[in-house]
Amino acid sequence: MLSGIANPEAREAGAPRLIDLGTEEVNLPGASVLQVLCELANDSAELLPPALHPTLPGIVTWGVYDFPESPWGAFRLAQTRIECRSGTRPRGFLVSGVIDNDAAREALQSRWGYLLAAGQIDFRRGYDGADVGVRSRDGQPMLALGLRAPVRLPEDVVQFVASIHPVHTPRGYRLLQVDPRHSLQRAERGDPGVECFDAEAWGEARIEPVYPISASICLADVRLPRLRFLCRPGEIAFTGTEPIADK
Amino acid sequence: MKFGVMYELSVPRPFANGIERAVIEGALEQIRLADELGFDTAWAVEHHFLEEYSHSSAPELFLTAAAMQTKQIRVGHGAVVCVPEINHPIRVAERAAFLDILSGGRLELGTARSSTWTELGGFQADPDSTKRDWDEYVQVLPKMWAEERFSWQGTSFSMPERAILPKPIQKPHPPLWVTVTSPGTELDAADRGIGCLGVAAASFVEQERRTQEYHRRIQLCDPVGAVNDQVATLNFLYCHEDARTGAARGMQMLGNFGLLNSHLLFTREAYPTVAYPTLGNLAPGKGKKSEKGSPADALGVPEGMCVGDPRQIIAAIKEWESIGIDQVNFMLNAAEILPQEQVLESLRLFASEVLPAFPKAEPA
Repeated sequence: MLSGIANPEAREAGAPRLIDLGTEEVNLPGASVLQVLCELANDSAELLPPALHPTLPGIVTWGVYDFPESPWGAFRLAQTRIECRSGTRPRGFLVSGVIDNDAAREALQSRWGYLLAAGQIDFRRGYDGADVGVRSRDGQPMLALGLRAPVRLPEDVVQFVASIHPVHTPRGYRLLQVDPRHSLQRAERGDPGVECFDAEAWGEARIEPVYPISASICLADVRLPRLRFLCRPGEIAFTGTEPIADK
Repeated sequence: MKFGVMYELSVPRPFANGIERAVIEGALEQIRLADELGFDTAWAVEHHFLEEYSHSSAPELFLTAAAMQTKQIRVGHGAVVCVPEINHPIRVAERAAFLDILSGGRLELGTARSSTWTELGGFQADPDSTKRDWDEYVQVLPKMWAEERFSWQGTSFSMPERAILPKPIQKPHPPLWVTVTSPGTELDAADRGIGCLGVAAASFVEQERRTQEYHRRIQLCDPVGAVNDQVATLNFLYCHEDARTGAARGMQMLGNFGLLNSHLLFTREAYPTVAYPTLGNLAPGKGKKSEKGSPADALGVPEGMCVGDPRQIIAAIKEWESIGIDQVNFMLNAAEILPQEQVLESLRLFASEVLPAFPKAEPA
């Protein structure tokens, strides 16, 4: 089985710190979610720690959320992830994210280990598609995605893959599994567009998207979960997984 | 009950010069032995781009070699991908007829539409239309073989009148099958009068339900050609006198297959579509543990898997037989994790200790 070949400590320096692992669930109703998947020109094993395994071909996924309400007020969140496997299960390895609400940023980083920068996110949903633009705090374009010619799908067709976040925990530097639950009320698929992606601005200059595969837009209630599993970044999931509830 | 051997032609990394040839020659040696031992069919899959997992991109050539080296065993193209970007239907009909002739009328032709984005994306095929394409292929293939000249105005392809040559030896045509990964494909098979070539893990209870529905429904079918009403299932075989050794080596094979399988990007994971209702194909790790207290339970063998000692394997096959399965096709290795001599010994022991428990029906 192929495994990641990136230095397992490569993301340790900037990783969020969780002071405890007893995070409670939070419900975020009525979110609009745009997902775009794109094949990579490069071997995704280079982008993954040894705990994770690449897909063939390598895939980058962008997930952009528009949350109209939350305990921290309305906010928008954009994530760049590398599709991978933990053991044999599908996962998305978080490269980084951008968020437009400081209170939400603090909560998502300290409770679920999202690596987030402050920025601006435009999210336009129309009858004929959707457009998303992400800019850094100083206004530099980081990502522009589009979805065109949407067609309605049954709600259970769109997949949401759990995330893997590099984090510091009371047990040390680990990979944290975060598996938000998405209860879909509406799902559509359309033609994907990737107008702009500044890989360096997202913290991983080697990401080279080349072939957009699909775009979907959903209306969903999202539940940010309790934390369940950690994994040591240098060890595969079969031997390196630590259930959080055990300790 | 019929028995087959099934080949993905998985190749371990690193892909050193000569490793693919060694895998192919090892597989041909196994098929020659299977022929001598009385197995019924040797199947080879068609896959593209699936590194390690399957290098079987030209199964019709592999099966031609197998047919040239054997006398009795049937050769199963299991299955040809019926998507125009990958195989034009005329070429499917031509190659199948040629292989039927070269094998002396021993061809079984499976049909499929590919379940991975890795493959469909590589050929830039549209996942939404593969079911429609497959349907058109299975409708026209028997006509291409039977009619002296053939023409077609269709959706996935059209052609002016031509003679599609050669014609197969088997009349009216070689048995047709469809690989069954997604639930519901068995109903498509029944409605068209073609066989179910199972390639995905299912529990006894689920397989029994699907098999009963298939047999009920095929009685009412509008067949595309000659009816093939058989149901085959895929399994893994490692047979050893010692149950623990058999289970340990067999599970090593299942585990390795599951790991290689997990790298693949299944269509629905990358491209949301109703055309692919499930995420994957055979994933041995998903197999349920036996609910019936099988002796293999303590060894961690999933329900119905044919790894262990002859007694355990006979029990598993009897269970498959009892729910209406006509044929069990075995994977014998996964990326060469078992040495060739162990695979051959397992086949020999299966033939001497298990096959006699399933006597072939005398021809009427």
